[in-house]
Amino acid sequence: MTLSRRFATLASATAVTALLAACSTAGATGTDPTEDAGDPVSGGTLDVAFFPDNAAFACVDPFQTYWIEHRTVIRNFADSLTDQDPETGELVPWLATDWQVSDDGLSYTFDLRDDVTFSDGTAFTADSVKLAFDSGAATLEQLPTAYGAVYLAGYDSTEVVDGDTVVVHFSTPNSAFLQGTSTTNLAILAASSYQATPEERCLGDVVGSGPFVLEDYSPGEKTVLTKREGYDWGSELREHSGEAYLDGITFTYVAEDSVRVGQLTSDAIDIAWPRNPISENDTALIQSSGDSVVSRSLPGPANTYYPNVADGKILADEQVRLALQKAIDRDSYASTIFGTEYPAVTSIYDTTTPSYQDHTDDLAYDADGAADLLDEAGWTLGDDGYRYKDGQKLTLSTPVIAQFSAGDQLIQDQLKAVGIDLELNVITQAQRSEVLAAGDYDLISTYYTRADPGVIQWIVDARYAGSQAQAVNALTADQTAEVQALLDRGTTTLDATARSEVYAELQDYYLEHALAFPTFERVQTAGVSAAVHGFRFTSESFGDFADTWITP
Amino acid sequence: MTTLTQSRVTAAARAAAPARTATGRSARRRATARALLRRPGFLIALAFTGFVILSALVPAWFTSADPYATAPADKLLPPSAAHLFGTDELGRDLFSRVLHGGALTIQATALAIGIALVGGLGLGVLSGFVGGWVDALVMRAVDVLLAIPGLLLALAIVTAVGFGTVPVAVAVGVGIIPGFARTTRAEVLRVKTLPYVEAARTGGAPWGRVLLRHVLPNSWGPVAVLAVLDFGAAIIAVAALSFLGFGAEPPAAEWGTLISAGRNYLVTSPWLSLLPGLFVGLLVLALNHLARTVEEVGR
Repeated sequence: MTLSRRFATLASATAVTALLAACSTAGATGTDPTEDAGDPVSGGTLDVAFFPDNAAFACVDPFQTYWIEHRTVIRNFADSLTDQDPETGELVPWLATDWQVSDDGLSYTFDLRDDVTFSDGTAFTADSVKLAFDSGAATLEQLPTAYGAVYLAGYDSTEVVDGDTVVVHFSTPNSAFLQGTSTTNLAILAASSYQATPEERCLGDVVGSGPFVLEDYSPGEKTVLTKREGYDWGSELREHSGEAYLDGITFTYVAEDSVRVGQLTSDAIDIAWPRNPISENDTALIQSSGDSVVSRSLPGPANTYYPNVADGKILADEQVRLALQKAIDRDSYASTIFGTEYPAVTSIYDTTTPSYQDHTDDLAYDADGAADLLDEAGWTLGDDGYRYKDGQKLTLSTPVIAQFSAGDQLIQDQLKAVGIDLELNVITQAQRSEVLAAGDYDLISTYYTRADPGVIQWIVDARYAGSQAQAVNALTADQTAEVQALLDRGTTTLDATARSEVYAELQDYYLEHALAFPTFERVQTAGVSAAVHGFRFTSESFGDFADTWITP
Repeated sequence: MTTLTQSRVTAAARAAAPARTATGRSARRRATARALLRRPGFLIALAFTGFVILSALVPAWFTSADPYATAPADKLLPPSAAHLFGTDELGRDLFSRVLHGGALTIQATALAIGIALVGGLGLGVLSGFVGGWVDALVMRAVDVLLAIPGLLLALAIVTAVGFGTVPVAVAVGVGIIPGFARTTRAEVLRVKTLPYVEAARTGGAPWGRVLLRHVLPNSWGPVAVLAVLDFGAAIIAVAALSFLGFGAEPPAAEWGTLISAGRNYLVTSPWLSLLPGLFVGLLVLALNHLARTVEEVGR
């Protein structure tokens, strides 16, 4: 017996509760560019200014990149088998019209559309899907840390049944796979792309079937998309399934937040798309010039400090970790750094993540409690206001990028109140991997975006992690065994409710042992010109510009 | 105006007169000092420089606010009596941060000038006094350093050495050594040929004594002026490097870091960048004025 698409709906039902909460955090201030504003007008080029390109790994290959901005680019030139409703979490047909999951969760059968072509003119068939997944697996053999690893975990093979039916087989269950098929990471490319090497794909040798075509990718400078003529297979989540209204999109990379906002308010660009949320001041500035700010929480692990619990490190002591957890004032962080309306983080996941559990109480600010715990752990207050134990000062070091250190400086001052010295070690983006490999840190801040809780494996599970060193340092051997067992249960449990419980248990475990210190809820904000309409956030809070049009 | 011109003429006349005796020298100094003190611009510049240096050494005399204490409720307040320079994005008192940042910046600049003085004087004296192939070698090395723009050289050094106040000081110091070496060498070459040096050599004085007693004291005057002039330039260079994020670890902030941190609020809270920037600008202007006036009066 096979479960029908209803199963998928059920699987996503877990997401519903979380995503309902998300709706309240998603929104727009000023004139709303997501709302109806008359009849769309075709033509015009949309100018989008992004945060700078990835200096360490310039890549636009769906399977390899993790750069949030590039996943927005990919969403617009490549299509996926399914699409995920940002409001309900439900999966809807896209390149696949229907799908069934076997009882054991080891095979997925997809019925495909037969009218889709890639932008190089070749047809999208069952072979395209097989080639995409097989190439993903082949890429993983060459580059085991490629970001697609978590998405294809347990993949075995793909069987072409006929021209428009494929069965994807797994050797071990991967309950997040169905959601994975809706992500940019498992977007399907044309055969010509897979003849290129992974490096060539990264640098722009990619052909998709999306509403736009990747015209040019110059790392660090700009990315140019042009309209795909004859596109007619948009998912039902779009307002219309046909050709894009825009003639093209130009993405530039701008380092300075203030410059990006200035460009928007002076109408030099149409959308300012930063990495960190737009500040309260800049929001006011954007609104005063008649433009608006749209926002939606990014699903996935929140912005979090992960500890280094290796032997000999201060944070190997659970008491100290628990004290540190209590010493961070997250409400004050959110309102000070991002503005009074900004939500404080409430778990190790952002609120839009399926299986998210509200852990506000575990993350409450309690300076006195923190001080008591530190006293118990033997760290006593010295004359200089910092704590000492056996002559060693309670100094925790964390690498920071100078540009983004305001929040870290606030936490530094919060920790000082309980006698913890947080040392901010200024590094450049490129030095991060060195610091990680050397284990020369006590806390390191990171996050990842995917509308599935299992993606935390990419951070903390050494078998899939992007940074081995960081994952190994983040847990002791015993904790690794427990966490990996939980994560494995998460990926092999097919029943949505049961699966949610597993991830609830994971969140409990993480907060009970203080193995992660969430600092802020990550909200994707974008400043949008008043002339831009029909803007849409995908379920992973990336930008979808297929429906977007510009008032001439 | 008349008195000013007169005093300058007198000072110049006195300076021009051979002043070999101890009384003559001290008289000349007194005259120079008098001439300087009659210039209001000089006095203002001196007072401001003195204030900045003093406040950098003992910031607690001028502000009681903790430069690192955050106060979320008071963030981004405009300048007022309670907060002379307003507050930054974390509610920290900006005036206090500027004064405390001054300590770091002044330290870094002093260290940079120290390195340049010692290195530049050493190389210049060596090159000018010894001459020959040593001169050729040192000066070609200096040529190479001069060919690279100072800030670029400093950036290259700081990237190699690492981040922080001392690396920034070293980078800036090394960057301005060539100018000092050139000036010193020129002076040494001039002084070396003067009759009293020849007399000392003829009289059998060892070369080390000639160098230390006769050449060095008489050739370092222009170098001292250059040091004061370059102090201003060095402050700008240190600020530029810390603006680019190579400075001290947060929460400590050099002036450049403060200007840099405020630039995201330039439209909404302009004082965050402008007041520290004004402070740096005024100090550099004051130092420049001091150096130029001393040079002018001393001539």
